[in-house]
Amino acid sequence: MEPAIEAIRLRKTYAGGIEAVKGIDFEVDSGEVFGLLGPNGAGKSTTVGMLTTTIVPTGGAARLVGFDVATEPLAARALSSVVFQDAVVDQSLTGRQNLELHARLWRVEAREAQARIDDLAHTLGLSELIRRPVAGYSGGERRRLEIARALVSHPRVLFLDEPTVGLDPRIRAELLDVIGGLRSRTEMTVLLTTHYLDEAERLCDRVAIIHAGRIVALGAPAALRAALGRELVELRVDGDTTSALASLRGRGVAGEDAFAVGTRLTVPLHDGGSREAIAAIHELGLSGSISAREPTLDDVYLRLTGDSLAAAA
Amino acid sequence: MSTAEIAIHAPSMRRRRLGPIATLARRRFQLTVRTPRELFVPLLTPIMFALVIAPALKTALHTNASYESFVAIGTVGLLIPLNTMFSGLGVIVDRVSGAQRELLTAPIPRGLLVLGNLAVALAITALQVGVLIAVAVARGIDFDATGAGVLWFVGSAVFFTVGMYGMAEILANRVSRQEEYIARVPAIAILPWFLAGALFPVTALPSFLTWVAKFLPLTHGLAVMRYGLSHDSAGLQAIWGMHDAGAMAALSLGVVAAFAVLLTAASVRIFSRSAVR
Repeated sequence: MEPAIEAIRLRKTYAGGIEAVKGIDFEVDSGEVFGLLGPNGAGKSTTVGMLTTTIVPTGGAARLVGFDVATEPLAARALSSVVFQDAVVDQSLTGRQNLELHARLWRVEAREAQARIDDLAHTLGLSELIRRPVAGYSGGERRRLEIARALVSHPRVLFLDEPTVGLDPRIRAELLDVIGGLRSRTEMTVLLTTHYLDEAERLCDRVAIIHAGRIVALGAPAALRAALGRELVELRVDGDTTSALASLRGRGVAGEDAFAVGTRLTVPLHDGGSREAIAAIHELGLSGSISAREPTLDDVYLRLTGDSLAAAA
Repeated sequence: MSTAEIAIHAPSMRRRRLGPIATLARRRFQLTVRTPRELFVPLLTPIMFALVIAPALKTALHTNASYESFVAIGTVGLLIPLNTMFSGLGVIVDRVSGAQRELLTAPIPRGLLVLGNLAVALAITALQVGVLIAVAVARGIDFDATGAGVLWFVGSAVFFTVGMYGMAEILANRVSRQEEYIARVPAIAILPWFLAGALFPVTALPSFLTWVAKFLPLTHGLAVMRYGLSHDSAGLQAIWGMHDAGAMAALSLGVVAAFAVLLTAASVRIFSRSAVR
């Protein structure tokens, strides 16, 4: 079965020589929810732009359900829909008019379109709003409308570009439920970009961590975390972190994947438990605060890039 | 494939091509009717010219009734650029705060977005020109139009509107903000009107400006409109210096048609290029 999305050495250099995407490769299977995780400016939206044909790639290739986005853009667009990062709606039209427009452009038969619109409005809690001009919607309502619009055409591939950015926590939580519910729609592939770790963990089957235009890690969130062991110990060192790290490695507490960023040492634990590791750290006389916890995707990102994703976002 | 199959598929292909333009035009119309100023504001100044200023000039300058019809047709040359430039503002609104990016991801050729907007600009301009002429007639301004003359007028007005809308699209895709767009409107929509024989014959201009005027599509457009509605071939004579009024009208109509085709093609190309990065 051919992948729903393929990116092959996909590259984009903007005017002025800014390399936003530096030759990325990934495949997304049909029905998969795939996340592009990275801070602002990492190249996520540029990648979505190239896959949705609004940004012209400088090099490489991309295919949606087998259709090359450069040479068969109409076929690729017919099978996909996008929910953009910011508001992309006709504000003075009603919600229904916005949905009908999408349905007509994606050639959904009129009667079928009305049925789908009513169904989606009900599912996404828009039934009371849909006859009002969009200008009066709240941020969350508008975002739900945009998701409904994207679904009217029953896309094979749905792109969600930072769908919860700028929303308050309550609306964001509601929207994550909505997006999580999309999984029940069979055959639809979702590509989600986000800089929120919890979104990626909660929604995605696999994530590609993207940093400065390159994919630095790709896999299931659990597998990426598991690569850092079941637990890790984090300590803040008052002195030289390089010699502290060497001491930990010499003692067999830290492996090659332990890393230092600033005054913080992160030590993945693959074999022993945190209690033994903390005792060994104390025996080495390393002073500073020590804590143990499960690895997160931020630790994965931190190890690979030297930056904290949460801080960079 | 059998002949019968071809016969069945042909109309459906046509519908597939025209369907998106109708959808996009319908959207543009829905947006336009929600901002009535787009319909009425461009009409105010030309109607003022036709109903107030032209009669006042006639009285002050002691000209005859044909001057009123001369100016009434001349004001069509102001109404069309003003209306199309107003329509072009919608392109910037679409890009900045509207659904343009959604439309760019639709499975349709992107040039259709321009043509959908053009269809509505053309329809609204036709309505406004119709109102202007009707008001002028109601005010007692006399036109001497035959069926063929009306066709000359309509052909010229349609081509000029299409060309000016292309100009508006190009400008809207070249500037980033509405303020920059509006600042350029007088130079594009109003300045040529003063040179194109709208209020007085181009031969009344200094000789070098007469030559400039001969290259303006509006000069050709107005000359054909006057030939059509008033049997007045003086404008055509001033441009071409020939004796056959029909031939001169055809030549000038060809100039306006070429203007329409070139500007539309350029606007589609510029939009298609500037809409993607």
